[in-house]
Amino acid sequence: MRDPYQVLGVSSTATDEEIKKAYRNLARKYHPDNYHDNPLADLAQERMKEINEAYEAVQNQRKGKTAGGAYGGTSAYSAYGGSTGYGGYTNTGATRFQRVRQAINEGDLNMADELLNASSDRGAEWHYLKGVICYRRGWMDEAKRYYQAALQMEPNNVEYVRAWQLVNGGNTYRPDGYDTVHTGGCDSGCSRFCLAWLCCNMLGGGGYYFWCC
Amino acid sequence: MFGYVRPSAERLSEEEQKRFTAAYCGLCHTLKRRYGLAARMILNYDLAFLAILLDEGGTCHSCEKRCMVHPIRKRPCAQPSAALETAADYSVILTWWQLRDGVADHGFWGGLKYRAASLLLRRAYRKARAAQPVFDESTKRHLNALAALEKARCESIDRPADTFAALLAGAAEGVEDPIRRRVLQQMFYHLGRWIYLTDAADDLKKDWKSGSYNPLIPRFALKEGKLTQENQQELAATMDRSVEMMAAAFELLDFGDWAGIIRSVVYEGLYAVGNAVLNGTFRKRPKREERNPTRKAGP
Repeated sequence: MRDPYQVLGVSSTATDEEIKKAYRNLARKYHPDNYHDNPLADLAQERMKEINEAYEAVQNQRKGKTAGGAYGGTSAYSAYGGSTGYGGYTNTGATRFQRVRQAINEGDLNMADELLNASSDRGAEWHYLKGVICYRRGWMDEAKRYYQAALQMEPNNVEYVRAWQLVNGGNTYRPDGYDTVHTGGCDSGCSRFCLAWLCCNMLGGGGYYFWCC
Repeated sequence: MFGYVRPSAERLSEEEQKRFTAAYCGLCHTLKRRYGLAARMILNYDLAFLAILLDEGGTCHSCEKRCMVHPIRKRPCAQPSAALETAADYSVILTWWQLRDGVADHGFWGGLKYRAASLLLRRAYRKARAAQPVFDESTKRHLNALAALEKARCESIDRPADTFAALLAGAAEGVEDPIRRRVLQQMFYHLGRWIYLTDAADDLKKDWKSGSYNPLIPRFALKEGKLTQENQQELAATMDRSVEMMAAAFELLDFGDWAGIIRSVVYEGLYAVGNAVLNGTFRKRPKREERNPTRKAGP
């Protein structure tokens, strides 16, 4: 195992408060929500596990306990697994949509898509699953339209609502000092960005003003 | 490629600014050394960013050099490295196939400039193809698929963007470490998708006038040659998803000396460029930079 302090990115002389802050920042960065339906979710999960173990080890060391005890999962950020799957249906009598979900879980998107295209049932779930396949492929525009169609048919379905939220801005993590910026439009994000930009500019002696709204 | 990828200059420390210049100048010198003077003309920011992402060592060794463009003041310049050489090969291949695409898309007179440019690049391309046969083959295949989608006037923006994105993801194919390859594939994929959509928005006016295919026209059923406010927001949202995917992938790999530059690209630079393209100020940027040269991101 790597040096736990190195994993957390702090020196061994850091205060408890600094360590907690570093841990929280890392946990926010690799939070499952940021990697939901992301093909790299397994790597983020591994990273999260390493960070949790390192934090646990540092805490144990500082409390005078020996490190290496089983990790108890007391952290608030150990929510990986379970939520990222699509239900593991393995029985042979599974319905078509269950088989689609299974193919998605296994990463076989072409198979999942073929199964869906051959289906005559084009209800809410069909549209939702089409959306999931698009999202996994990185086809964000089509994913959004499929999710929208699914939601129009079943507005109260929790799974669809969550997918809709995800496709409208899933990853909220920004490093310290980076404000939430967006492309296009003149929403609050844009004006915030301009303000931050203006501040940087004034501090840096840029010497001119710039408004975009 | 097109030169859309820029770090946010104000985010970079002086050291990082120098490093970015070093990557850019390093790629330029590598192009000259490997492919001669004409190949230098293809250089742009996107290709410099490609070289940065491909650098596995994560350390920037640079020296100071003069060149034709900067004959008096020496500029920081990255030392020759495997990443720069690969990036130079890929740059030549990408530019070559785009020129061929230009020849195919235009008539005799319109295609003349593409033909002339490919003539200048022909020897360089042959050498690059010999060095990177797999990337050459996949680039050719993807651009052919893209041309077919364009010909069929595809109504989806994701399909043609996917083809271009997959083309760029091919640049990670030669990376040996499997985890590094997966992360870079994802970064290149979404970089390609973002570049394709940005370019479509940037070219919309021109394409509308000439009647050329532009995926935004059927997607938003445009009646005039421009996007409404609502269309813009929808396009911006889907572009942002790709930038977020790049950022999420970026956090999974150690990029060493280059981390600060990449961070400023994926958390701010791309958003700023996307904004400038969508509100029509992107093409006016060089003038502003001329007025205030200290704010320039690169050379």
